[in-house]
Amino acid sequence: MSKTASPNVSEYLCEKIRELRLSFGGHGISQDELARHLDIQTNTVSRWETGAYKPKLKDLDKLAEFFAVSVSDFFPTKEDFTEPVNALLRAAKDLPDEDIEVLRQFAELKRAQLKLKKAK
Amino acid sequence: MTRSDYYDEMRRLANEQRALFNLLSARVTLSDLRKIFKHHCISINLWPMPGISGGNMKKVKGAYMHVDGQPSVLISRRLPDEQRIFTMAHELKHHLVDYDEAARGISCQFEGATDVKEIGAEVFAAELIYPDITFVSDMDSRSIDKDACTDRDIVSLKRSTNTTLSFTALAKKATFLGYAPKGALAAVKWKKLEEEMFGEPLYKRINRYRQFPRN
Repeated sequence: MSKTASPNVSEYLCEKIRELRLSFGGHGISQDELARHLDIQTNTVSRWETGAYKPKLKDLDKLAEFFAVSVSDFFPTKEDFTEPVNALLRAAKDLPDEDIEVLRQFAELKRAQLKLKKAK
Repeated sequence: MTRSDYYDEMRRLANEQRALFNLLSARVTLSDLRKIFKHHCISINLWPMPGISGGNMKKVKGAYMHVDGQPSVLISRRLPDEQRIFTMAHELKHHLVDYDEAARGISCQFEGATDVKEIGAEVFAAELIYPDITFVSDMDSRSIDKDACTDRDIVSLKRSTNTTLSFTALAKKATFLGYAPKGALAAVKWKKLEEEMFGEPLYKRINRYRQFPRN
């Protein structure tokens, strides 16, 4: 699925979850199995994939961790999510890489949160 | 604009915010700052938070960023209240002053621009919590002359005003305003001195009682 193709966030999100599930480990994983791994109801996965429900940010985080992708992969965008946009760091000098990573993840989460809000 | 002008402007801006939000004393609380942030539509996020793994945020007390037009701050939960208040005030300056610059990609006009921005944020935060004019008036009312302020005066001042500005920041302010010679208030063990002057704080007594209830 092209990241630039669809401006419709909701549709993209549904398709992406389904695509990742069906290609998981090369042979796919059932909705039931995925739900068990995420500790949620089976029908919730189904509702995400049909667009009946929108996953919450914490669900997206669980999905991203399970599929070993970035939260940003669930959204159609050309932009580089890895860039912490206009961050003005309190202690910008000599920041350890892992702290920069925290800020990058924060920027990514905020963007995902905004996109989810717009999609609702 | 010189650095000095810039810092004066930060003080003016801080006092403008104080007036706008009716901050009348040297005690600015987390609740006050939450109201200010809400007014400016800045979301407050505490780290650690779900969805962010790794890192230890040892060096970063707080960060301000705007993602797709939404201003947000990330503040470390580990900070004690006074530091959290100061950090939030610091980040507020970035929102009020550096937001547009960042969005337009305009760099600061001074040499070492980032430093000026950061120092400006410290000046803004200190002024927002405890304005210089109030500090000078408090020193005068205690008959503390220039170059005569001691570490004990700072502790007494903090106790009597109930300010949320930290001992270290008060010491810096006293030095900057000429009430203490340079270096005279550096490396003071403030909490220890406070305990020496005013006795063991209540929380320590409660903790001791919890550990040894019969003592």
